[in-house]
Amino acid sequence: MNVHQVLSGAGPYDAVTNEALDFRARFTAWGWGGRDVAAAIDPRMNGRVAPLSALAPGERDVVLIHYSAYAPRVRRVLELPQRKLLLSHNVTPARWLWAHEPMTAVQCAVGRSQLPDFVEACDACAADSAFNAQELRSAGAGEVTVLPVLTDPRRLGAPADEAPAGPVTLLFVGRLMPHKRQDEVIRVLALYAREHDPHARLVLVGEPLTARYAAELHQLADAIAPGAVRFERSLSAAELAERYRGAHAFVCLSEHEGFCVPVLEALHFGVPVVARPAGAVPEVAGNAALLVPDDDPAVVAELVHLAVTDAALRAELRRRGAERVAAYAPERTAAVLRDLVLSLQ
Amino acid sequence: MTSPEEALALARERAAAARALGGYANDLSNFAIDPLDAVTLEHLLEWAVVEPDLSELRSTRRLGAPITFAKRLLYRALRQYHGQVLAQQARFNIQLAVFVGQLADRVERLERRR
Repeated sequence: MNVHQVLSGAGPYDAVTNEALDFRARFTAWGWGGRDVAAAIDPRMNGRVAPLSALAPGERDVVLIHYSAYAPRVRRVLELPQRKLLLSHNVTPARWLWAHEPMTAVQCAVGRSQLPDFVEACDACAADSAFNAQELRSAGAGEVTVLPVLTDPRRLGAPADEAPAGPVTLLFVGRLMPHKRQDEVIRVLALYAREHDPHARLVLVGEPLTARYAAELHQLADAIAPGAVRFERSLSAAELAERYRGAHAFVCLSEHEGFCVPVLEALHFGVPVVARPAGAVPEVAGNAALLVPDDDPAVVAELVHLAVTDAALRAELRRRGAERVAAYAPERTAAVLRDLVLSLQ
Repeated sequence: MTSPEEALALARERAAAARALGGYANDLSNFAIDPLDAVTLEHLLEWAVVEPDLSELRSTRRLGAPITFAKRLLYRALRQYHGQVLAQQARFNIQLAVFVGQLADRVERLERRR
């Protein structure tokens, strides 16, 4: 049996790409073949994903379309006669991107508008969260299987035994993009430092949307929290694990998330999560995070202070976090994936 | 111990109490980066002048410095041609944005008259 995966774009730090590669490892372990192709490929992929033109499925093969944005030519895949599985990773609303990266905004706007066509042309639909599944149903899908992101935070290593030493360190991991609201996290850090701990720091890990947007965030950090914010990118798994182990709280104020793997990683490392309940975040974090719907950064700063200083609260969040991570065990997701693909045979 | 369910209410109380004592006087809200729900004429005029970011003209490969150098060399070699293209595109964009602005004013005046 062959399963071919189609991506709109492939990059080394892209969550969808990494999941497709994890899928491929599972497919290989199950004795399945197939190729992974993408319409746009970052040169750093070093041949792990082939160009879209390399897609040549056999009659009984299955084509798995990872849908995360519009890409020219991907639509042609819908015309293939093979059985097709659509996996929606959610497309970011364009409103966040017009001012910063118009080309990406166009891709997102078109991607969202074309979703009903993909739903109609595919034989089965899946989404990596109930939040995404609801968007697929709104686009006309009937039955939608929730297939959580196939991720195993344990691959990053074990959590630290003790709370981190040194100054209070807040952490957020995610691409530097407007809807992830790193600007708000910086504001919270500035207020926290002013009201509670002048030595507090913030570490922002993520690839920037554009150099210009990264420069805007740097300017903001220099203006309101000089020297307290560190921007990092292209970290190895070991380096990323160290950032989690060194964090006193993980602050996610993102306004749109289709899943949010870093929340799960933070829970794995026992880092208290303070998060805005947007998109799939409440679903992923469950009762293991401190969810804050307030737009008031002072409330967020006070919640962070509680998470940092109340040892019993931290312990309870850590216990609940371990349960959430177990609920997303990769073995469970892999079983759902296997059943889903086999149902198309 | 504060339970996770009680934490938010407690944080709100503490934020309010701190404010009452003069804390959080400036919540830095002027530093927010907000989304664009509607593109305005001001945005159109700002974007009408095409200004490519030359720092983006680079290679992301591991040993990409020579490729970056070649790309920038090519850019310099074609600067005259690119200058013409950008000027023509900017002229069209600006004229169009101004025209749209005039139309919007006209529609507004007509609506007021009705």
